Amino acid sequence: MDKALKIKRRRHASLDKRRARAGYFFVAPFVLGIILIYLPILIDSIWLSFYEELPIIVDGLPTTKLEFRGLQYYKFAFTESPDFVTKLLAGLQQLVFEVPAVIIFSLFIAVVLNQKMLGRAAFRAIFFVPVIISTGLMESINGADIMSGSMGEGIQDGTNGEASGGIVDVLMIENLFKSMAIGGEMVTYVVSLVNDIYNIINYSGVQMLIFLAGLQSISDSIYEACRIDGATGWETFWKVTFPMISPMILVNAVYTVIDSFTRSSNVTMSYISGSANGDSHKAAMYWIYFGVVMLIIAVVAGIASTFVFYQRKD
Amino acid sequence: MEMNNNSTPLIKKDSKRKIRVDYEGKMSLVERLKEKFKASNTWIKFVVVLFRFILMLGVSFVIVYPFIARIAGSFMTREDVIDATISLIPKHPTLEIYKAIIVENHYFEAVFNTLILSLGCAVIQMLIACLVGYGLAKFKFKGNKLVMLLVIATMIIPHGALQLSLLRHFTNFDLATVQAWGYPGIIQLLRGGVKLNLSNTFAPLFILSLFGLAFKNGLYIYLLRQFFKGVPDELEESAYVDGSGTLRTFFQIILPLSIPMLITVFLFAFSWQWTDEFYTGLFFTSTINKVYLMPDVFQVPASLNVTYAGEVLYKNVVQNTGGLLIIAPLIILYLFGQKYLVQGIERSGLVG
Repeated sequence: MDKALKIKRRRHASLDKRRARAGYFFVAPFVLGIILIYLPILIDSIWLSFYEELPIIVDGLPTTKLEFRGLQYYKFAFTESPDFVTKLLAGLQQLVFEVPAVIIFSLFIAVVLNQKMLGRAAFRAIFFVPVIISTGLMESINGADIMSGSMGEGIQDGTNGEASGGIVDVLMIENLFKSMAIGGEMVTYVVSLVNDIYNIINYSGVQMLIFLAGLQSISDSIYEACRIDGATGWETFWKVTFPMISPMILVNAVYTVIDSFTRSSNVTMSYISGSANGDSHKAAMYWIYFGVVMLIIAVVAGIASTFVFYQRKD
Repeated sequence: MEMNNNSTPLIKKDSKRKIRVDYEGKMSLVERLKEKFKASNTWIKFVVVLFRFILMLGVSFVIVYPFIARIAGSFMTREDVIDATISLIPKHPTLEIYKAIIVENHYFEAVFNTLILSLGCAVIQMLIACLVGYGLAKFKFKGNKLVMLLVIATMIIPHGALQLSLLRHFTNFDLATVQAWGYPGIIQLLRGGVKLNLSNTFAPLFILSLFGLAFKNGLYIYLLRQFFKGVPDELEESAYVDGSGTLRTFFQIILPLSIPMLITVFLFAFSWQWTDEFYTGLFFTSTINKVYLMPDVFQVPASLNVTYAGEVLYKNVVQNTGGLLIIAPLIILYLFGQKYLVQGIERSGLVG
């Protein structure tokens, strides 16, 4: 009797514990993977950046031996490596250029795709094609592609005079803006954006999806209230839509930074993977790069989270 | 469409009936329509709708045009490629590029292999991401946040950084062993010191998928976690009250309702694995008993690799045709799955 009571009480008390155990069960595959596979690989990679792998012969068989080199490779990357620092800065520049463009573009398209319009289903289907096919192999095809890689070139660049000349004639636009006396940097930025539209569309697929999801989750009654109060579409966007999806902007900003940095066509990534120095050099450069990425993500998340508006949930 | 909607509410005076009678008596239909246009903002709306439509059409064009150009190019002969008078429609349409790629690059073999690989990876990744996402979303336990941080960390660490170590790990596969430290792991000891080389098999990718560590799995886990957070707790609570266990609740109640989201994740996982060149290029290096995969389709076949004036351009056309052949199965899949793509994300409750 006494025993039975005890068991019962213990069971009752451990409901939370049982829930926690169930939680551990569900995340177990990932945690095990981290411990058994990911961490060893990670440590190995970090280790390699401090050591040099020297070929030796043990019992007549060629193997390798590691010799400690300390921070030598890290120093090398900064001081002696021909243009690691330049490429790193170029990567950052690319990022500064790309992140706002991708965010603004995907937000704009998501807002438009969220409206009722003729052929919306067809447009949606077309706009999400890049999500599916613009990674990996197709990305390298796009990158290496003269024919259609940059839409600016038009089909059969160079050999076919009549068809070349991009969407926008850079010089023409620049002249137009200069005569309007708008700052030079702004002009080059906008023009390069327009000519880079193909890449920007390709990079903003997932972001578009996330924004669209955010827009769909804003309840209609808020918009109805706005209409009744006589707000214009412009006001509604800035006073309602924008704050409501600002958490999505944070998510997308971080995602875009990650995506842009880890993409293999990224200036810095392709420089490192193509560098002729040894593997230890590469590893060291990658870890420096990773440090910079982390820093940028912290900064971006910090900036974005200052203007994020969280709807209070009851 | 918009015009019809807006042509109704013009006459809104106090005594409706009286005005309407006057109105119809005085003006002809054309004049009445004119009045309506003047009074309402129909014109502005019409211009906005038109502008929006043209803009969408333009962006769609930017997306679709490369495919049109590639399809056009894929039917061209060598002469057509450098012919200045041809922009899209070839003068001598031919299937030689397709034939060469399909035969010399072992296209169907590559499709078959990649299909097994991608299907296996996508199914495993979907299920694992679902489990982990559910665990992170619905259970309070010590280290929940740490696990979430680790998920994000696997997303942020560039896989290029791990490239060499990944290869080292899977050519001498073992559990919880750091290759650089040099001591043999459990598997090596069990096999009597013989290293277990998993390269040139599907095993490395399946193993990575099984532990939720493969390409972009962090994103899938994150998406599913956000989705499950949006599922009301009451649903599970009522199941628990009815005597259903955690696992049964998960499989019978939660899984069926998350099917659109799962399809979204499956689509991502499948197509990103399909076009992957990082892992396939890393693990499949052997030329003997070669496993043909999608990156091989992308090569220029030997019979088309001829020196002539438009060589660079022609190789480009050939590679683009390879690209078309690579994505053709994906496009078919996308046509079936695209409505779930938006639906799944829409219901994900990503806000907050």
